[in-house]
Amino acid sequence: MSFDLELDHPGFELRAAAEVPLRGITVISGASGSGKTTLLRALAGLEPGVRGPVRFGAEDWTGRPPKDRLVGFVFQDARLFRHLNVEGNLRYGAARRGTSEAVVQEVIDAFDLAPLLPRRTSALSGGEARRVALARAMASQPRILFLDEPMVGLDPARRAEVLPYITRAVDNFDLSVLYVSHSQFEMALLADRVYRMASGQLGSLQDGPPRFLLPVVAAAAGQMSFEIDGHRFTLQGDAAPGETWEIRPGHGCILSSEHPGRNTAAAVLPVTCLGADEAGRNQKVGIAGQSMDMEPAGGFEAGEKLWLICPRLRARHRGRSRHSPVTNRG
Amino acid sequence: MSDLWGPVWLSLRLAGLTTLILLVLAMPLAWWLARTRNPIRPFIEALTALPLVLPPTVLGFYLLLLFSPDTPLGAGFLRLTGDTLAFSFAGLLVASVLYSLPFAVQPLQAAFHTIGHGTLEAAATLGAGRFDAFRSVALPLARRGVLTAAVLTFAHTLGEFGVVLMVGGSIPGKTRVISIEIYSAVETLDYQAAHLLSGGLLVFSFLVLTLVYILNRRGVHFGG
Repeated sequence: MSFDLELDHPGFELRAAAEVPLRGITVISGASGSGKTTLLRALAGLEPGVRGPVRFGAEDWTGRPPKDRLVGFVFQDARLFRHLNVEGNLRYGAARRGTSEAVVQEVIDAFDLAPLLPRRTSALSGGEARRVALARAMASQPRILFLDEPMVGLDPARRAEVLPYITRAVDNFDLSVLYVSHSQFEMALLADRVYRMASGQLGSLQDGPPRFLLPVVAAAAGQMSFEIDGHRFTLQGDAAPGETWEIRPGHGCILSSEHPGRNTAAAVLPVTCLGADEAGRNQKVGIAGQSMDMEPAGGFEAGEKLWLICPRLRARHRGRSRHSPVTNRG
Repeated sequence: MSDLWGPVWLSLRLAGLTTLILLVLAMPLAWWLARTRNPIRPFIEALTALPLVLPPTVLGFYLLLLFSPDTPLGAGFLRLTGDTLAFSFAGLLVASVLYSLPFAVQPLQAAFHTIGHGTLEAAATLGAGRFDAFRSVALPLARRGVLTAAVLTFAHTLGEFGVVLMVGGSIPGKTRVISIEIYSAVETLDYQAAHLLSGGLLVFSFLVLTLVYILNRRGVHFGG
């Protein structure tokens, strides 16, 4: 998706030009008021007064009304239709975009919506409302998904509840995502690449947060494995032997000098402490011959052997937008 | 007694038709007022609200002048129908529509306003065009406002007196509505007829207003 947009409001100007790859999750990150949401709205055709071209693949979207842009937009405040129940909301876009019943059912399954279908929207929790909003957008069969801080205002438990559904939207429906967020947590977990935004100016493309690359080997049908320092981990999924996957520790990792024991549900990776960075903001760790910046954790000596305890370790195939959870067989 | 049904039927017909016409006219006007940022909006709003503050005689006086066969409107109507607009049911209908305009526009405008722009944007990203979004999202969400507008317009038209007297006079079966009938009953000291009609109107109006307040209370409950 490529664009070169300008918008002038009193006291705010938007200048954003980029060529965003149409795969995986692209995070637009920046402080509030930096114009992230305005950019998403401009790309979706919701912002009047925007100048400049927008192209999606071979299609020219410049000047198209929102209904003809095939963007699935999940707003910060869910914006469910209060006069319709959950199913009515889900089918609103599906009916207008001619989504087949099979795909609607697939969405209902993927987002675990079956028990919620007859509910009034006012009877949904905050997390459920975001999930319905996400599913509603998916059921309209968008070409690209725009997520505008879809987890803002949710407490950590509700976030953990919504998050898997966002990755599921990308995995199950092979969709590219533009994700606006100022949360380091979400970025660490989801981003394939990051654009930073400040005072209405879109910065240049950056790589996503820490991950390391490892080759996987076939263990059994549907199970691949990778190895770090003699410790073996298992991937669920259809990775082909010898493929290089990227492993992302995600958010919530803890560095520890003691192994938490075999019974933990978290994946526990052996790492070496490389010390803090110059600014003292990040802890550098070495893993499988690569170095990663982790969140600050003090008190470790450079060279010390540590355990990285990762509650949500995920593996992902670069380029083919496939994810797999990683089980702990360390 | 049986001749009391004439004015009652005439009033009901006038109020019903006025309500229908006003819902059709007020809907787009209220939609525009609720959403526009055009600087002329306050002028249009003031114009719409004028019947609330003007004495009915002022509106009636100007309408009477406008309906005269000397104006293009009056002359055109006379040529088409062979009847004058003044002192006819059609003239009464035009006057009622103008006089009850704010009672239709204001509840609709308030209802459309509370829907907010965001919900309609969501509809647009899900593939709804403007009219589709209005029909499938705005109108159902504003249904209490539509009902309030209809009920208030109907009741207000039923109760109007000054404008009717100025524009329509008191022609039995043609322009003599309930309120005029009450007036002439009192003048001829027919208190029994006056009691029946007044009591009926009082009870009806009370019930209608109660209904409106019940609707609005529910509206607050659900609208949050």
